[in-house]
Parts: sequence; C-alpha cells; structure tokens
Amino acid sequence: MRGPSVSNPAADSARGGILDREGALAKLMIAPAILYIVAMIGVPFVLAVLYSLSDATTGDPSIKLVGLRNFAAALADPVFRLSLWNTVFFTLASQCIVVLLSRLLATALLKTFRGKWLVRFLIMLPWTAPISLGTIGWLWMLDSIFSPIDWVLRYVGLLGVPGALLGGGTNLYYLGIPGLAISSIILVDVWRILPLATVIQLAGLSSIPKDLLEAAEVDGASPWRRTLMITIPLTLPITSIAFLFGVVFTFTDLVVVYVLTRGGPVHTTQVLSSWTFFKGIEGGDLAQGAAISLFMFPVLAAVAILILRMARRTEVV
Amino acid sequence: MAKRSLLTRRDFIKAAGVGAVAMGVAPTIFLPRQAHGASKELKILVWSHFVPRFDKEWYDGYVQKWGEANDVKVTVDHINLAEIPSRTAAEVAAGQGHDLIEWIAPPSQFEPSVLDLGDVVKEAEKRYGKQHPLCRGSSYNPNTKKFYSFCPGWTIDPGCYRKSLWEKAGKGSGPETWEDLITYGGKIKKDQGIQLGIGLSQELDSNMASRGLLWSYDSSIQDAEENVVLNNPKTIEAVSYMARLFKESMVPEVFAWTAVSNNQALIAGRASYILNSISAYRSAQQQVPEIAKDIYFTPALRGPRGTRFNSEHVIYCYVVPKYSKNVDSAKKFLLDLVGNYDQAMYKSELYNSPAFFDTPIPSGDRGYPAVKGAKKLIDLHNAWFSDDPFALPGEEKGKLAVLKDAEKWSANIGHPGPANPAEGEVFATFILPNMMANSARGMAPQTAVEQAELLTKTIFAKWRQKGLVGGKT
Repeated sequence: MRGPSVSNPAADSARGGILDREGALAKLMIAPAILYIVAMIGVPFVLAVLYSLSDATTGDPSIKLVGLRNFAAALADPVFRLSLWNTVFFTLASQCIVVLLSRLLATALLKTFRGKWLVRFLIMLPWTAPISLGTIGWLWMLDSIFSPIDWVLRYVGLLGVPGALLGGGTNLYYLGIPGLAISSIILVDVWRILPLATVIQLAGLSSIPKDLLEAAEVDGASPWRRTLMITIPLTLPITSIAFLFGVVFTFTDLVVVYVLTRGGPVHTTQVLSSWTFFKGIEGGDLAQGAAISLFMFPVLAAVAILILRMARRTEVV
Repeated sequence: MAKRSLLTRRDFIKAAGVGAVAMGVAPTIFLPRQAHGASKELKILVWSHFVPRFDKEWYDGYVQKWGEANDVKVTVDHINLAEIPSRTAAEVAAGQGHDLIEWIAPPSQFEPSVLDLGDVVKEAEKRYGKQHPLCRGSSYNPNTKKFYSFCPGWTIDPGCYRKSLWEKAGKGSGPETWEDLITYGGKIKKDQGIQLGIGLSQELDSNMASRGLLWSYDSSIQDAEENVVLNNPKTIEAVSYMARLFKESMVPEVFAWTAVSNNQALIAGRASYILNSISAYRSAQQQVPEIAKDIYFTPALRGPRGTRFNSEHVIYCYVVPKYSKNVDSAKKFLLDLVGNYDQAMYKSELYNSPAFFDTPIPSGDRGYPAVKGAKKLIDLHNAWFSDDPFALPGEEKGKLAVLKDAEKWSANIGHPGPANPAEGEVFATFILPNMMANSARGMAPQTAVEQAELLTKTIFAKWRQKGLVGGKT
C-alpha cells in the first residue's frame, strides 16, 4: 500500500519550472490583460492617429499621409466647435448634478429604514440595464406625441388648456426645442451615471471612522460642521473618483445623443462622439472622423491620470 | 509534518491550462463537420425591410430557392438600416465579409473598394430593357465611368393626406402645390388643431423632404456637372417658404422628427399631411383602419413655377466588395433578382418599385393573383396602383393611382446630377434639413443658405480631390 506522497521541493522546482518562479509567473499571468489592452485599445488608438493624418475614407481605408490637414479642417468647422463645447458642457453639468445627488442618496442609504433594499435596487437599476435600452425608454418618455410625462401634465391641467402654466399646446416637444433637448440629454446622462456614483459615495461614507464623528459630536460640533470638517475632507478623494469616472463615461458617450436627438435640433446637442460617427462613418470621411475623435484624447488622458492619483490618495486614507 | 494541500497552485494552473486547451480543441473533435451540399457559397447582407412580411414571406425563401437551383449555399443576414454604413465600412476595412451588401441609399463613397458592375447593368438592360434613370443616377459615377452598385428597385415617396381634414378646409382633393400646404394646411391647424408633419430634423425623411422642396423651387445642391449651385435666389425663396410653412402649419415636433415619426403622427391622427412612402398607410391599414380609409395620396407638389420633384424614398443598391470570392454567383443573383421583381413588388405590398419596368413577367404561379393581360412589370405597376390588391374591404378603389406616373416626378439624390460621395456626406451631415430648420427657427434665409453653402463647398472640394466628384471648385 502506498503511503501519502511527500513533497520534494527540489524535484518539484525542476519539474515545475516557470510555475515556481514568482516573477516569471506574475508576468505570465498579467500577459493576457496586457495583450488585451494592446489589441483592443493600443492598436485602435495608433490606427486612429494614422487615419487622422491621412486622407482615408470608409471606401478606401488605405493610409496616405496628408499631415495635419484634418485637424485644421475640423477646427474650421463650426459644427465641430459646437460639438466640442457641448461635450464639455454636458459632461460638467451632468457630473456636478451627479455628485450632488449621489451624495444625498448615499447619505440616505446609510440610514436604516423600511424598504431600503427596494430603494437600493431601484437606484442600481439604470446601471444594470443596457444604455441603449434605457435611452430608448427615455426616447419614448420624451416623445413629441406619446410622451407619458406630457400626458400627466395634461391630466393635472399644467399643459394643453388655455392659460395652463406650461402652455396651451398638447405637448412640450422635449427633443424639438434646443433648451429642452439639451436639458433632456443632461437628465439622461445623470440618470445613467447616478447609480455608479452613489455606490462609490456610499463606500466612501462607510469608510469614515465612526469614533471620529462621535468624538466631534461629543465636542459639540453641529451636523453641518461635522459634514464640512470631517465628512467632506475625508471623502473628497473618493468623491473625485466618482466625478472623474462619470466624466469619462459621459465625455465619450455616443448612445444617449445618437438615440435621443442624433445631435439635433440643428446640431444643438451634437457632441464629439456623435459628430465623429456622422462625419467619419455615415459621411464616409474616415480621416476627418478620426481627427475629431482624437480631440477627446487630451481630456481623457488628463482625467485618467487624475483618477490614478486620486486612487493612490484613497489608498493612503 | 505539514499536511500537503489537496490542490497546489501548480496543479491548479496545469488543470486550468489543460481545461482551456480542451475547450478550444473539443469543438473540432466532437462537433460534426458542417455538411457542404453546395459547391459554391454566397453571403448576402440586406436591411430589415420596412414591410416585415417581405423578408419573412418572400426574400429569405426566394434566396434559398435560388441557392438550391444554382447549387450555391446562400446565407442572408438582415440588419437595421442604420447599421449598414458602419457594417460595410468594417467589412471593407477587414477585407472580408459578405459578397453582396444591399444599401438603401447610394453607396458612392465605397467606389474604390467595390467592383464595377457595368457588365451586370449591360446584361440586365439586354434582358429586361432600360434601367430607370433615377436608379442609374444612384449607382453610376460618370467621372470614373463606373457602376459602383447595381440598383434593381426603388421606393416612391408620395404625399399622404387626411381627406376628411382637407375637405373641411375646402380642398378635398388634397394639396397640389407647396403653397397649398400653407393655405389649407395652415387653416386645418388653426381650425381643426391638426398640424402638418414634414421633418426638419437630422434624419432620413427630413433629408428627402428638403431635397423635394428645393428641386420643386427649381434649385439644387449641385448642377448636372456636379458644380455646387446651392446659394442662389431660388434656394433662398425655398428656405423662406419653409419658415412660413413652419409658422403657419407645423409645431416644433418637426425638429425632433425621426424615421418613424411619419407613421406615428399619421396613425395617431396628428398629421394632416406627411411626405413618406406608402408604409405609413400600410401600417395604418393594420392598426387603425378608420384612419387608413381617410388617407389619400398626392404626387410631388408643384413649386412656384410649376416644377415638381420628390426624392426617391428608398433606393436599393447592391455592392460587391472587391474582397468577394464569389463574384460570379453574386452577379447571377442580381440578374435573377431583377427577373423576379414582380414578386418583390407584390410581397412588399407595392413598397418596392422596379428599376427595369420592361422586365417580362415569368410564367407559372407567381405567388399572387394573376393580372389579366399583364406581360411586363410596368403592366403590374399600373394595374396594382389602379386597383390596390391590399386595400381594406370597403376602401375606395384607385387611391394609389396617383403613384402610377411616379417615375416622372421622382429624382435621385444629387439631382440633376448623379449621386456622389459629396452629396452623400451632405446628406449624412444633414446640411439641407438644418438649413431649412435654421430658417424656420428665425435665422435670416440668406444666412442659412450661406452657412449651408460653406459646408457643402468644403465637402465637395474634398471629394473632388479624390477624383470621385466632377465639377469645379
């Protein structure tokens, strides 16, 4: 009868080879991730740079370099300039609202109350649904004829009768009037990012040592003072991460604008990603589309660096 | 002695590695190889037709039967029309994909990557007679003398109006001129609370409508030689008209118009007139028959000097990418498709019209009630539009009769010149509907036209440099 096997490190090492060398094994394990990043992000990025310097079209994607002509053409295009402004404005406006609302929600979710799980579930729901599906839902909510919001407003007499607060028309045409269309885009951006930001904020708030807040309370600090002097400073790094993640998601998003307005009315909601698509893919000017998309790169690179720094600070905290 | 764990890291990695390899290799070992009954192959990418029964009840079945008859294994993939440009671009960039790709707009920008189908057009004309000029203009580049696509059919874009509303306004026969839309359409909006629905948005139908208006006002983006001629007094006249039309007869929903808005507005009873194919009417027949019975049709409306043109609503253009290894099968498929276009017309519920009107009708059971005396597609076209086989019981006969001469008042994108990549980019970046919308929103017509001209000239100059567009900068 054979007894239990006994480990022989020398023999195992000789047999195991790379599996027993920590450094080599680490490289081996990380290699798929690096390969994935190179293939899915690195190669397309280099290709985008090459396309932006070429005269490539969708029908002729061969690369013949033409210098910075596409960047100059993009800057001379008034639609591009408006798209750039819209991208920055929609991102900052939506993320400021997101930070504010997510803090409020996270604070509320720290408390114990009946039905808390349901509230958490409802808050997380927009994050679990595909963006395109959720945005199509909003398209219906904001429809020029069938909007249920308008239906409610008409029902309560705020719309559709002479002298009504929101006018005598049957609908508000959310996506047909520039101001309302811009607000609608921001609203949907907020709706989409809020769950993620809330979860991040919740994690930040949960990490504050309770004894610190209790000590401040014992010392007579008011809730407002505790918030200003303890909660906000201690959660600032993680709040910044929530904000920066939201910036990345919103700045690069194509779906919300494409589904809701296609950049209209008259480009008033056009953003860089949608303009890239219309110009580069639908219009066939691949090189120009690549140049437009690359204008997003400096902002995204800066945000990525900031996120990494913030993450490090959070670790210290 | 320390007890050895049951599974070491090394064991785990080995097991995982073996497992991964096994999973990768297993399908090739255990799954049966695909049977290859046919010796040749053909992959086709087409849009999901607006009339669902067209795909389900005809196209897919027809393709399979064609494959069996020609010993070709055919695969058909349907995609949403919005995905066609990106999918084609991806396949061209990858150098592999479908052998035939169907567009519903002229795919002129793909000319460098697709085969010249001049031989197919030549053979089709030999068998089936002359191709309709608007189909030719949507598939042929006169500068390079190349047929970058093959067009077997198109869709008419008439006006659709609610007769009961127009009768009350004193024009029961419907609008005849663009000015009627203000005179009577405005009256309907004011007295009956129902607006007109002509899109001024960044989408397909708005693009079509703005072109129709411009042509009917004797203007255009380019002339026949592909010179940009947009900024002229007639364009300004058309743009000024649109501002008046919006003020008198429409509401801001037209700035948020989408590809389905025509159907929605008409079916909901919220439009007195729309500019669309008959698909909106067909949807109404199924969903709200009482509204369908009230829908009537007009040809293109006349401008101030009597000219009238509407854009084709859909133009079917097949391309054969250069990477295709099944070119002969693809070309044969196209020629046979033209020969069977009677079925395409019927199964699309008259949504599809033929590019080759003189195509003889094949003999035998064609899957629809035989039309007495009909020998060519033009006979079917006239007979079916005179007496719609899909009319509801009790519905007035001959409602579609105004579509019989649609080929006289329909034009291709690019009219009076050919479709080209510059016209395509102007279309894709919504320059015309935005020019109209700017004016409707209060911008001076002259300024709106100048802005549009600037963008248009830049686009034309760029494509001209590539040798794909004629004219002078």
